Amino acid sequence: MDSLRAYLDRFVADTLDRCTRCGRCYDACPMTPYARELDGASPPAVVEGLLPLLQGAPGSTEAVAWVKVCTQSATCIDACPEGINAMLMLRAARMGALGSLGGEAQMSSTEDPLFFRKIEAFAATQLTPDEIEQWHRASPGERSAS
Amino acid sequence: MSEKVVFWYGCNVVRHGDIIHSSIEILRAIGLEVAPVGGPSYCCGTSKDANLRAADGMAKRTVGKFNDLAIRLAEGGPPPADGTGAAASGAPAPAEPLAAAKVVTWCPSCHRHMNQFMGEYTDPQFPMSHFTQVVHAQRERLRERLVHRVERRVVLHRHFGFREVDVNPLVEDLLRLIPGLELVDSDVSVPGHMCSALVSVPAALKDVTRGVCDLAREAGADTVATVFHSCQRVLCGLEATEPFKVVNYVSLLGEAMGLSLVDEYKEWKLAGSADAVLERIGADRVEELGEAFVREQLMPELLRAPAK
Ligand code: SF4
Repeated sequence: MDSLRAYLDRFVADTLDRCTRCGRCYDACPMTPYARELDGASPPAVVEGLLPLLQGAPGSTEAVAWVKVCTQSATCIDACPEGINAMLMLRAARMGALGSLGGEAQMSSTEDPLFFRKIEAFAATQLTPDEIEQWHRASPGERSAS
Repeated sequence: MSEKVVFWYGCNVVRHGDIIHSSIEILRAIGLEVAPVGGPSYCCGTSKDANLRAADGMAKRTVGKFNDLAIRLAEGGPPPADGTGAAASGAPAPAEPLAAAKVVTWCPSCHRHMNQFMGEYTDPQFPMSHFTQVVHAQRERLRERLVHRVERRVVLHRHFGFREVDVNPLVEDLLRLIPGLELVDSDVSVPGHMCSALVSVPAALKDVTRGVCDLAREAGADTVATVFHSCQRVLCGLEATEPFKVVNYVSLLGEAMGLSLVDEYKEWKLAGSADAVLERIGADRVEELGEAFVREQLMPELLRAPAK
């Protein structure tokens, strides 16, 4: 079995190899007006500042600002003339900016430390104890369909 | 023998038991036997970008459980053959047709994470389709069950980010099956794959929320239909101040089927004060969860009005 890190490493190597820094993915992004740091930014320069994040190295201020406003709108994917999944490139850059790829974190995680506790709490209000037992806890061997 | 499917509804949708239960009834109405799964032990790990080891472990665990469950459910029966399922990306081409039951996704984040990540470095042995694809493919069968009139003028709240599945036209087709329901044509579509994606960009969420109100007013709609649970979560509080209802599309289909399921989460959001929320949740459930936990951890979300 492969690992997430090995898969990411392959994706990053391929992206760095093929990306021409043309900036069309940035141009296609509907979210850039929401980051003040990106006012008047040069699309190729923002991409140039983003690519180091894929390897766990520091990205530019503009690149991190772009990562922060990415909402996975996916318009960048069709915009890339090289066939790179630019949305995935932004996601990998986000992992780099969070410090998950080995370097210093350049942004903090928005993950709620009580995320799962809240899920369990809401589930307890919305599902019956039997449903929780069957749908959330039972092992696959104990399950049936109805 | 009817086809068996795993219905993977995800995590955050548990705020809306009505969506989960309506979806299950809809899948049953089109002739499927359903094994629902969700919650933390089936988490895809999409929220773990800051901890790749955790994301890796969750993905492998969840895909492993699906492989086991989907194959057990199929009991050696024929592979799903309705033409709507594609093998999850990354699955090796099987020498024999896959015998596993299909995994039907609800959440676009889970669906995307399976396609973009989990399916690429694990070994999924099951076909996967989104709920909208499965129901749409059997919509004539569903139509027979939509016998109750739903007298509403509805506009659909659409996002354009869920590129993997073009859900908006599928949902519009399903809404058009409902007797009495008038669907207003609209091509307004907003960024992100669902509203939760916008929460970290408050100015964008504000624009989208204001846009929903404008859209409903211009359309003369009495109902805004949401596609995904997080849009329902984020927008349902608008009912406190706006002249329209916010209802998920599966609830509208459920209403036409004669189901009477309540969006309790919306009722809590509309309660108006902490004491009123506690009263609506009810003393037994508050005690079970712990009043301090409810007040400190759940209440801020329940009292937060949509900003626009
Ligand atoms: S559009 Fe493609 S090639 Fe151009 S900068 Fe973006 S990822 Fe690189």
